[in-house]
Amino acid sequence: MSSDFGTIVLREAEKGKASYADVRISEILNENLTVKNGEPETVALSQEKGFGVRVIVNGAWGFAGSVDINKEEIKKTAKKAISIAKASASLKKKNVALTREKAGKGKYSTSFRKDPFKVSLDEKLDVLIQAGQILKDQSPLIKASYANYRGFMENKLFMSSEGAEINQKITWCGGGLSAIAVKDGEMQARSYPSPFRGDFATNGYEFFESLKLVDHAKRLGQELLKLFEAQKCPSGETDLILYGDQLALQIHESCGHPTELDRALGTEADYAGTSFLTPEKLGKFKYGSEKVSIVADATVPRGLGTFGYDDEGTCAKKVHLIKEGIFANYQSSRETAAELKRKESSGGMRADSPLALPIIRMTNINLLPGDWKADEIVEDTKEGILITTNRSWSIDDRRINFQFGTEIGWKIKNGSKEGMIKNPTYMGVTPQFWGSCDAVSKDDWKMWGTPNCGKGVPGQVMYVGHGCGTARFRKVRVGLIK
Amino acid sequence: MDTERLKDIAEKTVAYAVKQKVDQAQASAFLSDTALTRFANSQIHQNVAEKSGGVAIKVILKKKISTIRIGTLEQKEIERAVGQAIKIAKASSPTKEFKSLPEPEKWKPIAGAFDRKTADCDPRFRAEKVKEAIETAHAKSPKVKAVAGYYSSGSVGFAVANSLGVSAWADLSTASMKTTVISRSGDSEGSAAAEKHSRRIKDISPSVLAKDAADKSVRSLNPVRVEPGEFEVVLSPLAVSTLMMHIGFVGFSADAYQDGESFVKYHLNKQVFDGKLNVVDDARDPSTFCSLPVDGEGVPKKTMKLISKGVVSEKSICHNSFTAGKEGKKSTGHARTEFGGYYGDEPEPMNMIVKAGDSTLDEAIAETKHGVFVNTVHYVNPAEPTKVVLTGLTRDGTFLIENGEVGKPIVNMRFTDSMLSAFKDIPLIGKRVETLRMTAVPMLKVTKLRFVGLSAY
Repeated sequence: MSSDFGTIVLREAEKGKASYADVRISEILNENLTVKNGEPETVALSQEKGFGVRVIVNGAWGFAGSVDINKEEIKKTAKKAISIAKASASLKKKNVALTREKAGKGKYSTSFRKDPFKVSLDEKLDVLIQAGQILKDQSPLIKASYANYRGFMENKLFMSSEGAEINQKITWCGGGLSAIAVKDGEMQARSYPSPFRGDFATNGYEFFESLKLVDHAKRLGQELLKLFEAQKCPSGETDLILYGDQLALQIHESCGHPTELDRALGTEADYAGTSFLTPEKLGKFKYGSEKVSIVADATVPRGLGTFGYDDEGTCAKKVHLIKEGIFANYQSSRETAAELKRKESSGGMRADSPLALPIIRMTNINLLPGDWKADEIVEDTKEGILITTNRSWSIDDRRINFQFGTEIGWKIKNGSKEGMIKNPTYMGVTPQFWGSCDAVSKDDWKMWGTPNCGKGVPGQVMYVGHGCGTARFRKVRVGLIK
Repeated sequence: MDTERLKDIAEKTVAYAVKQKVDQAQASAFLSDTALTRFANSQIHQNVAEKSGGVAIKVILKKKISTIRIGTLEQKEIERAVGQAIKIAKASSPTKEFKSLPEPEKWKPIAGAFDRKTADCDPRFRAEKVKEAIETAHAKSPKVKAVAGYYSSGSVGFAVANSLGVSAWADLSTASMKTTVISRSGDSEGSAAAEKHSRRIKDISPSVLAKDAADKSVRSLNPVRVEPGEFEVVLSPLAVSTLMMHIGFVGFSADAYQDGESFVKYHLNKQVFDGKLNVVDDARDPSTFCSLPVDGEGVPKKTMKLISKGVVSEKSICHNSFTAGKEGKKSTGHARTEFGGYYGDEPEPMNMIVKAGDSTLDEAIAETKHGVFVNTVHYVNPAEPTKVVLTGLTRDGTFLIENGEVGKPIVNMRFTDSMLSAFKDIPLIGKRVETLRMTAVPMLKVTKLRFVGLSAY
C-alpha cells in the first residue's frame, strides 16, 4: 500500500478546509468454496480494492469512496467528500467533536502459520468433497449436504490529518458442514461446528484443518437422522442450558448490539433500531446476575474481531461492557464517545469495504469464564433442556424481547442428558434472562467467529467474534412453535 | 450510465477467455454510482457516496467451474483474472450436474428504468429533501422529538455476455426515502415509519412520508399491554412487503425447492393460501423498483405466477440456468446479478407483486371488530421453512382495532406463526399497491395471526 495516494487525499482535504480527514486504501481477497452433495457448487475468488475518504468540513461529516485508485480519481473523490460534508453542515445541530486519541504509526498483522491463500485449491476441495460426500451418503433422506470454506485477507493503509499512518493485514479463514433432511414433509437440519457456513478465526489454514470436517461428517449425518425420532421440544418454563455456539449468538444479539453507542444515541433508529441500554443506565443498571461479565476485546488471539487498530485509527482495546452483572460501558467511536463525554473511544469503528463508511461494530464480545465445568452444570440441573446450534433468531429493535430456535437439544433430568428433542425454541426479555444466569463454565470456553453480522444503511456485513463456554439460565419459556 | 463500455468489456472478456480454450465462459461487468444521506435526531449524521464497479468471470473446463470477481474494469487486470479463473478451474473438480450456460434469447430493454435526474442527484438536493421531512414532522406536533431516516439515489449499469452468444445490458436508477419519527410524552416514547422507493426522485415526497410517520408516531404514545394470542390483523403494505419477501425466499427459489426446503414441494397444485391471493414476479411491471430486463446470466426475466388464486405449483419456481439444467428445463431468468452482493447464488424472485384487491384501508379497519393494525414488522426470520413458520415483532406503529375503529396503541408483540395459516384466510386486499423494495404490495387483512409474546414498549 503506497502512502503517496493517502498524502494526496490529505492535501486535498486541507485545501478544502477540512478540520479533520482520514483515508483508508485497501485490498481484500475473499475465497469462497462450497461443495454441495460432494460436488463443487461455488469455487470463487473475489478481489476488491479501493479507497474511502472521510472529512469534517464546517463541523459536519462527508464520505466518498471509489474503486479507481489513480491520482485523478483520488482528487475527485476527496473533493466529493468535501462537498458532501458541506451539504451535511446545512442540517447540523452542533459541530462534530472527536475524543483525543494517539495518532497511531506502525504495522500490525494477525498471526498464522499457513497462509490460507498459499494452500492449493486441490487440498481444500479434497476435504470438502470428502466430508460432504460422507454426510450425504448417510441416508437418502438427506436431501442436501454442504461443505464450506472461506478465506479472507485484507491489506489496508490508514492515514489521517492527525498524523496517523497504519498498515494492517488481517487474515482469517474457516469453514463448516451442514445438511438438511426431509421425511414426510418434515425438515431437519444439522451443522458443524456452528451454523451459517461454520466457524472462523483470525488464523491461518491450520484453523480450518483443526475443524476436522471429515471426522465429524458421519456423526453429524447420524444425529440429523435421529432428529426425526426425537421428541418435540416441551412447552412451558424450564431451566435452559446453552452450549457455546448458541450462547455466542445470544451474546451477540442481546449484549453486543444493545451496547453499541450509536444505537443508544439514536443514530440507528431508522433501521437496526435503538437500545434499551440508554446512557442514564451506565454504571448502575443491573443487566444480569453477578455471574455475567462481558467484554469487548479486540486483542484476544484468534478472535474473528481481532485487529491492531480500528478503522479510525484507534488502537485495539479490551473494555468491560458488563461487569458482574452491571452495565459498565459502551462500544463506541471517537465521535460518540465524545458526545457522552467519555475520555476515549472503545475502538469499535469498522467498515466492511474500503468504499464503506466505518460504523460502530462489534469486535470480540466475550462472556468471561465462570467457575463451573460444563458437565457440572448438567449434573447440577434437576429438570431442563440443553440446546445447541442456532436455526432461527429474532430480537426487537431495542434488544429486549428475543426468540431463538436451535437445531437440536436434549432433555435434562436429575443431572443427566436423557432424550433428544427437536425444533427447540426459547423466548426471553434480555435483563430478566441474563439475570437468571446462575452458572457459567470455564473448561469449554473458546472463541467463536461469525462473518455475517449485518448493520447500517447502506448495509454492511462484518466479521465478529464471541468467546464463551456453556451457561445455564433458570426458568426460561421454551417451546414456542405449535 | 456507460452501458456501451460495459457491454464492450463483457464481450471482450468472453472473447479473451475463449481464446484460452475454455469450454464456456461468461463475463458480467457493472458500474454503480450511489449516494445516501442519513439522518437521525433531526440532523444529518452520515452522508456518503460510493463509486463501485467490477467484472465477474466464470469459466468452464470439462464441467469444472470457477468464478473470479474483481473490483476493477481495467483490461490488464481482467485478462490476468481470466488466467487465474482458468488456473482455478483446472485445479477444481467437475460439477457433474452442470449442463450449460444459457443460450441467447431475444430481450428488450425496459423503458423508463433509468432517469437521468435521479442518477445525477447531488448532496445539496438530498439535504433539502431531508430538511423538508424533518421540518414537516416537527410541525405536526410538539410531541415529535426526533426524526431519522435516509434519502438515497443512484444508478447502476450492467452488461453480461457468454461464449454461446448471450449479450445483454441494462441501466437503472433508484431513489428511496425512509422516515422514522420518534415522539415523546412523559416517559413514553412513540415511533412510526414510512418509506417510498422508486426509479425516479420526482415520485418521492418527503412531506407525505413525514406526515404519515409523525401522525402514527404521536398516536403510538402510551401503549397498553394486550395479552398475546390470535388476532384479526390488518397489515399495512410495509408489513406485507417484509412477510412476502420471506415467503418468496423460502418458497420460490429452485434451490430450496430441489433441496426439499420449500413449502411449494409439499403443496403442489393445492390451494394453500386464500383464493383471492395472486402474486406474480414481473420485472417489467411499472410498479417494480429494481427493473432489469435480464438476469445475471443475460436471460430475459420471465413473468412468474408465484401464487394463482391461492394455488402454488411447479410453475411458481424461479430458476437460473444451473437449477433449470438439473431438471432439463430452461432458466426463468432469476440468476442473481453481480452487483447485488457476492453471497449466495440461489435464484429468487426480485420483483414480487401482490395483485390489488378492491378494498381500502379504512374499509379493512371498519370491518374489524377486535383486531390489531400492524404498520411494520421487524427482524423476521423463518423458524420452520417447510411450514413457512416466521417469527418477528411488530414495530413503528401497532394499534388495537375496536369496533371498526383504530383505537389505543399497544405494546409491540412477537408473532410466531405459519404463513400458510395466516394467509389462508384473507378477507380483504387493498386496492392501492405500493412499491416497497423488492415488492409491490397492497394492505391485507388476515383473519388470524398468532402472537406469542410481548416486548416492553
